[in-house]
Amino acid sequence: MRAFSRLALAFLVLVACDTAGRVIVWGLSLPVPGTVVGILILLAAIVALRRVPEPLKEMVEFLLAHLNFFYIPAGVGVMAYAALLADDLWPILIALFASTFLAMFAAGLAFQVVARFTGGKGDGA
Amino acid sequence: MSDIGIKLIYWDRVLEAGFWILLTLFFYYLALRIQRALGGTPLANPVLLASAPIIALLSAADIWVGDYQMGGQALIWLLGPATVGLAVPLYRNFARVRSALVPMAVSLVVGSAVAVLSAVLIGDAMGASLETVRSLAPKSVTTPIAMGIAEEIGGYASLTAAFVIITGIIGAVFGAMFFNFCRISDARARGFAMGIAAHGIGTARAFQEDEVSGTFSGVAMALNGIVTALILPLLWLAFAG
Repeated sequence: MRAFSRLALAFLVLVACDTAGRVIVWGLSLPVPGTVVGILILLAAIVALRRVPEPLKEMVEFLLAHLNFFYIPAGVGVMAYAALLADDLWPILIALFASTFLAMFAAGLAFQVVARFTGGKGDGA
Repeated sequence: MSDIGIKLIYWDRVLEAGFWILLTLFFYYLALRIQRALGGTPLANPVLLASAPIIALLSAADIWVGDYQMGGQALIWLLGPATVGLAVPLYRNFARVRSALVPMAVSLVVGSAVAVLSAVLIGDAMGASLETVRSLAPKSVTTPIAMGIAEEIGGYASLTAAFVIITGIIGAVFGAMFFNFCRISDARARGFAMGIAAHGIGTARAFQEDEVSGTFSGVAMALNGIVTALILPLLWLAFAG
């Protein structure tokens, strides 16, 4: 029970950081998503603590391992635009596939080549 | 509470939302089982494997997708707190990230430019309508930012939302195979490129592979969102406005 309440507290910390981030972004009308500011708030808190509390670590590892779950409603949402997509189906599919591959290639190659020259330590897979 | 004449909680709606959440959980569980049975291959993407049967079910039963989203909205809201958790791997890999600032900056500039320009040019060359091309431009950026950009440059935010999800699934499904094919082997480069091209769904996949890739993917997703939101509308006004 105690472990459970600590995990619940860790979850509330995540909700609080996210909410604080959203409020700050809304209040200052910043051009970034509130969640990004939320990440920075939590990062600052962890840096101040100098360690990641165990329940927070467990909760975050669980959520990040299952991040896909939270994207399912967005996937289902694509259905709502099926008719709009059908108008330009082939141009859309070809553009999305080709552009995604090109962006992965350009970003990945740029990173790898520059990392070789700047001497950063690579983590070969 | 009905005795005071005001309904404080619409229990029927809470129940319905709960039903859709449980259904989503059920199909997610099935999707994970299938993915694990296939050796964890990215080809069996959980977002795709779980949303396809839900779409089929809603169509077959003639249920409006908005009804489903009563539960879906709750999960989409939870995406915020879940994503905030990125701070933890970011802290653990801070030295790694800091030592890669130069490659990250170059990759960010090159990657975000290619992501936008290639989508616009290919869509236009294939004969897509102007509105479709405008909606394609921010497709590699995380949904809320992409929708805002689409509106600013005269696209349809809702269409963009669909493009963003399809893009994320393409990156998550084919990314690892494609990186192998292109001999991009550095886990940091693979993660960062995944985050640039395929935002959160790519990041979700990257975390299924390893924490270094996931961390760099999350950082790339955040940076690409900010950079694209700041620069794309200006460029659009300068060249196409």
